[in-house]
Formats: sequence, structure tokens, C-alpha cells
Amino acid sequence: MPPAPAPLIDASHVAFIQGAVGISVAACDRSGKPALVRAIGCHVTEDRPLVTIYLSAIQAAQLLGCVRDNGAVAVVFSEPSTHRTVQLKGAGAIVDGLLEGEWECVQAYREAFVRELAPLGFDPVMVRTLLSHRQADIVALRFVPSEAYSQTPGPQAGAPLKAGT
Amino acid sequence: MKTKLDAIRECLESVIPGTIATASPQGVPNVAYLSQVQFIDSEHIALSYQFFNKTRQNLMANPHAMLSLINPLSGAQYRLSIEYLRTEIAGPLFASMKAKLAGIASHTGMGGVFRLLGADVFRVHDIERVPGETVQPPPAQHNLLAALRAASERLRSCCDLERLLAETLACLEQLFGIRYTMILMFDAPSERLYTVASRGYEASGVGSEIPLGHGVIGVAAQERTPIRISHMNAEYSYSRAIRESASRSDWAHALDTEIPLPGLRESRSQLAVPVTAAERLLGVLYVESPHDLRFTYDDEDALVTLAAQLGMAAQLLQNAADAGEDAPAVQPAATPVGGMPLTVRHYRENGSVFLDDDYLIKGVAGSIFWTLLREYADKSRTEFTNRELRLDSRLRLPDISDNLEARLILLSRRLTERGAAIRIEKTGRGRFRLCVDRPLQLREG
Repeated sequence: MPPAPAPLIDASHVAFIQGAVGISVAACDRSGKPALVRAIGCHVTEDRPLVTIYLSAIQAAQLLGCVRDNGAVAVVFSEPSTHRTVQLKGAGAIVDGLLEGEWECVQAYREAFVRELAPLGFDPVMVRTLLSHRQADIVALRFVPSEAYSQTPGPQAGAPLKAGT
Repeated sequence: MKTKLDAIRECLESVIPGTIATASPQGVPNVAYLSQVQFIDSEHIALSYQFFNKTRQNLMANPHAMLSLINPLSGAQYRLSIEYLRTEIAGPLFASMKAKLAGIASHTGMGGVFRLLGADVFRVHDIERVPGETVQPPPAQHNLLAALRAASERLRSCCDLERLLAETLACLEQLFGIRYTMILMFDAPSERLYTVASRGYEASGVGSEIPLGHGVIGVAAQERTPIRISHMNAEYSYSRAIRESASRSDWAHALDTEIPLPGLRESRSQLAVPVTAAERLLGVLYVESPHDLRFTYDDEDALVTLAAQLGMAAQLLQNAADAGEDAPAVQPAATPVGGMPLTVRHYRENGSVFLDDDYLIKGVAGSIFWTLLREYADKSRTEFTNRELRLDSRLRLPDISDNLEARLILLSRRLTERGAAIRIEKTGRGRFRLCVDRPLQLREG
């Protein structure tokens, strides 16, 4: 049996992308037109490199159509206070309903992001409103990352993600 | 109704960075943060090209992209379907973005990292308002159009250039709430701008100079494009360090002929707007603030419009002054004055003039002053006209484009500020009087 490939993301990356970071998701249709939406949280399933991104179905309608069609996604995570940025890509992404405990994950993300932005001068009311959605509107986008990049601004942006970066 | 780009342009320079989605020809999406989005017109934007990254690689193969922007006050989100058209690597758009990017870079601690390689120009095909909750943005503190109209009316009633310049700066403070302002005029032969009026600073700095192409003011003048910086700090390479120019001074004597440029020590927002008349550069209107993000796109529009009126009015008043009386009013010859003699020294190579070894002025204004003093000393004349100065070959005034009236204002202000025993008083349109309170000793250096 061949050895398992080294995981694309380590524990520090998992903590980072589940933290108080801005998240945006891209997909594209068959003609090459991209779709884009701001996400409202991320969860990484333990022991399995399965990444789940939470989206508003209304806001992401076009993007979800692309994902259902071809399954290709790109997700960028960025920490406003440090500009540390990571991008994950995956194929075969699926659109799913929320599982138990996932709505709590979305709410916890929103409050953590409001707290992260407050010292930077962002109005908490505005940030909370920006990320407010009805529970029934939230869908889960699940995928196994096949590519991972560091995208922190600078000449090294776009380099494959290394442990600890 | 379709949203036009100009209606949401405050989102383009939002403190919440925008994102861009692209796709490779193989259908692999990519998403990245943007450092700079520049409004061009209601159908075009430009993005900064800093590194050859995946976004750019995708765009070169597939020009379709999507941009996500957020209004920083309301939280309203917009998605823009855009198409890459071309990259500009020089010219006004590039210069303006380069200056802005340096400001963004220093603000975000990326000073050594961000360097503009090009301005990528995109057509905006569609703007979609993303469904979602928003908050009510705070009401505007004042109405810029009303301020512009009131300022326009006040400028219209100015009958001479000095009044026009002072009134422009007074309007900026009283109607626009902009406290720190200055106007610089362009000296084409030396390719320098000299301060002719300022407001809000401890020292007026009238007579201070900045080379074309240097700093926010010099670049705005060189590229004939407004430059607006929302985050500025000391390490910023566009800071208006005038001392640099002292080391390039080419005259031999060691006396200090540099007047410090006025300016805020802790300037955070800056806006430099070229002042032109009939496509010719007259100078630059410059404003600054100790606060970040003080000047918006709307402020820029208002000041560009105000500068257009300032340019046209300045040109009209200049022409009117030149078309003034042919001969000076008949006046008795200068009456002799008593007291300690004042030594006036003139250096022909650069027109610089010193009063008892204190630097006063140089360049064309210095040559004008010397000519007036010679006329006073040789012929006891005190009454002069702009018209005769323009015809005087000793002054070597380049042509009509040389702003004689502005130079007389500069000279007059310098004499007043120095508390010199010599003054210049306006006596009518295109006419003025030289007032001398002490005996003069004229020396060619």
C-alpha cells in the first residue's frame, strides 16, 4: 500500500481558516465566466480533510449553479489585522444542507469576525449586518482541498502553502 | 434601474478590500484580494498590477472576471462583471494609481512590497446589488454641490488675481471645511512650481518651490491629473521633502535661498489638483488634512471643478492686467528718504536678491524686483505698469504664458512677510507703486 500523501493543510492552517478571517468563494460556469460570493464561516471535519464553507443561498445562487454543474471551487481566507491570506481549491464540491451544530458554527464565526474588526475601526453593527442571514437561507459547500496556496500580499503570494505559513 | 459605476464609487476605495474571481481556460476558478480599484468613468475601472500572479495569468487567457465590493458605511455588497481590456504602464492613470498605491502600501505596512507594474483597465458590463441587509449610513456633514456653487459665486466677483487666490483658499476653509490649503504657480522655463498663496499654516511659505514631477504636487502637475492620497505617512516616498531640492541648487554662494514649503507635519490625506487654462498648466491647487480618508471622489470632483474656474478666472485677470494702462500715472518723482541705508544685492545668474544679506527672492520675480529698483535709483520712478514690465527686455520674460501678475503677488508678499523697507502697492488694474522707506544701496553680486 503506497504511503498516504502529506496533507495539504496542517493544524495551524485548519485553525486559521476556521478563525476570524474574511472568506470569499469563487466558481465558474462552462463558458469561463466566474461567480463570486462572500462566505459566512468555515468548518474543517476532524480526521478528514473535508472543508465546509457556509453561504447564503440567495446571495450565492449563481455560484451554486456553477458548483452543481462542475464542482470546481476556490476559497480565499484573509485575516484583516495581519493580511495573512490562504487560498484553497477543490474539485467535486457538493452543495448540502446544514448538519446539526453547523448553524451555531455560522453564528460563532459572525461574532468572532465582528470582534476581529472592531479594533480596526469597523462599525460592529455594520459588520454584523453584513453577515446576517436567516438560518433557512444557509447552505453548506463541502469539498476536499486539492490545492493550497499562500496568498499573503508580496512577491511570495501564490506559492504553494507550506506548513507553518 | 441599472446601477451605474459612478453611483457606487465610494465602494471602490472602501476600507473593506474587494475580491476578484477569475477562471483559467481549463475552468479552474481563482479568487484573490485587491489592493486598489480605480474609478475611470461610469463604464471603466482599473486594477493595480503588482505581481504576475494567478489572477493576471488567468486574465491574459480569459478576460472575464467578477469583482465583489462593499460599501464601508452601509455594508451594501455589489458584484461587478468585468472584462480585461488593456494595461497602461505610463500616463495620468498610471501616475495617479502609483501615487495612491504608495499611500495604501505605507498605510498597510507594505511599503517595500507594493510596486505598480501597470494599470489594468477593465470594462464594467454589469453591476449587481447582492441581496442582503444594510445599515443606514450616517448623513453627509455638508453638501458639496452647494459648497461648490457658493464658492463659484464668490470667485466670480474677484477682480484681481491676488484676491482670487485668497478667496479660493477662504472658500475651501469656510465652505468645504478644508483648513490646510495652498496654491502653487508653474514656472515653465525652470520646470518648477512656486507657492503663491497658502492658508492654515504657521508660515505662509510663499516663494517656496517644488520641482515638476516631485511629490504629490509635482506629479499632479507633470501628469496634469489630480492625485488623491487617503493614507499618508512619513516613510512615504511621495512626501514633499523640499530640502532635497536644496542640494540641487546650482548657484555658488552658500547663503540659504530655500524657503520651506508649508505643509502639515502629520499629513494623512492629500489632494493635488492641476490648475489649467486652455490646456495650459497654470499651477496646482493643493489641500491636505491630518485625518485619514478625508478626501473622497466627490471632494476630488468638486475641487477639480473649482480649479477649472480658478484657472479660467486667473487667465482672464492676467489678460486684463496686461491690457491695463499703457503708461503709469503721472506722479511726482520719489521723495528722498532718510535712515540707515538698505543694501540690496542681486545675483544675475539666478535672479536672486538679498536685503542686507537676507534672502528675499529669486528667478523671474527677483529680476523684476531688480529692474524696479534700478528704475527707482536711476530715474526716481515709483509708478509702474505690468505692460511695460512685459515689454522690458531686461526681464527676459518668456512669453504671455509667464504669469507676471502672480510673480508680482509673490514679490509683494515676500516683501511684506520680510518686513522690508520696500513695499509694492497696487494702484489700479495692471498698475502698481514701489514704496521705499529707507535709502537703497544697489550691488550686483
